[in-house]
Amino acid sequence: MGTAASFTLFGLVGMILGVVAFPLLRLVPLPAGRRAQIGRVLVSSCFHSFIEFMRRIGVLTYEFRGTDGLGRRGQLVLANHPSLIDVVFLIGFSGEPGCVVKRALWGNPFTAGVVSTAGYVPNAPTDAMIEGASAALEAGQTVIMFPEGTRTTPGQPIRFHRGAASVALRAARFVTPVYITVQPTTLTKDTAWYRIPPRRPHWCLVVGEDIELTAFREGHPLPIASRALNDYLIGHFRTRSPGGAGVSGDRPRSLV
Amino acid sequence: MMTREDILAQIRGVLADLFEIDPSRVTLDANLNTDLEIDSIDAVDLIDRIRRFTGKKVSGEAFRSVLTVGDLVGVIERLVSE
Repeated sequence: MGTAASFTLFGLVGMILGVVAFPLLRLVPLPAGRRAQIGRVLVSSCFHSFIEFMRRIGVLTYEFRGTDGLGRRGQLVLANHPSLIDVVFLIGFSGEPGCVVKRALWGNPFTAGVVSTAGYVPNAPTDAMIEGASAALEAGQTVIMFPEGTRTTPGQPIRFHRGAASVALRAARFVTPVYITVQPTTLTKDTAWYRIPPRRPHWCLVVGEDIELTAFREGHPLPIASRALNDYLIGHFRTRSPGGAGVSGDRPRSLV
Repeated sequence: MMTREDILAQIRGVLADLFEIDPSRVTLDANLNTDLEIDSIDAVDLIDRIRRFTGKKVSGEAFRSVLTVGDLVGVIERLVSE
């Protein structure tokens, strides 16, 4: 019942944000940057409350270690992506972050206003994603990216798209990893969202130490440096988030 | 005025510099993706360089139909003659 209540609440709050709060926000005469910032604060506080709601009614438990390290200016937060609500945790606990999110959200009438007003960055096309995320970091935002690109199947070895490494080298002041595990697994890509796990799921999120970029930035042009950083990040996450994740690869066709 | 040969030479230089690709592999019919292993993320860096050597503020859109080195030469040729 709690799970049903949670989905209903999330849907309702999402609808209120999309249909009432954000349309009102767009009517207020504000500089676009300020409006986007208020939008991100709204989303972040709703997500934070939503997590607390789920914890209180007992549909989940969680521990999120090291949240003090999140929300710095120009910080790129990279996390593995085992479940549907990872982004709810990360946006809810990182100040007023920007985020790279699915491009399809710009096509959904309930979410289009939210993601565009808040200035979130679409994950495609690649050049828009890289330039958008870099610009947000340079403007001082905290930006969240899931380098796996999509939710992944727990137990599979982690694979990262190189876009996150490229953004990191182009524009991040800090790169901070967050390792996420969910036990028992739930809300994965392979299970229906209404499939309730056999016992109450527990989310464990751990903020790691910043990744040192200096060595990657020196000596090599960006394409080679970003490959090296991406390989490093994959190894880094494979040893630290045994919950693991799935398969995604670079499968481009034309040049862009 | 840049000739096609000049443009190809520039591309060879940029690809060697950015991706350490041997210039002999950079022929007009080489496919950027399958032969030279340049993916969509590399393309962003490559287009940055092209903006610099042509001095044109060109959008990524202009390159969407580019598959081969020859296509790329064609797009740059049109750019610099504008």
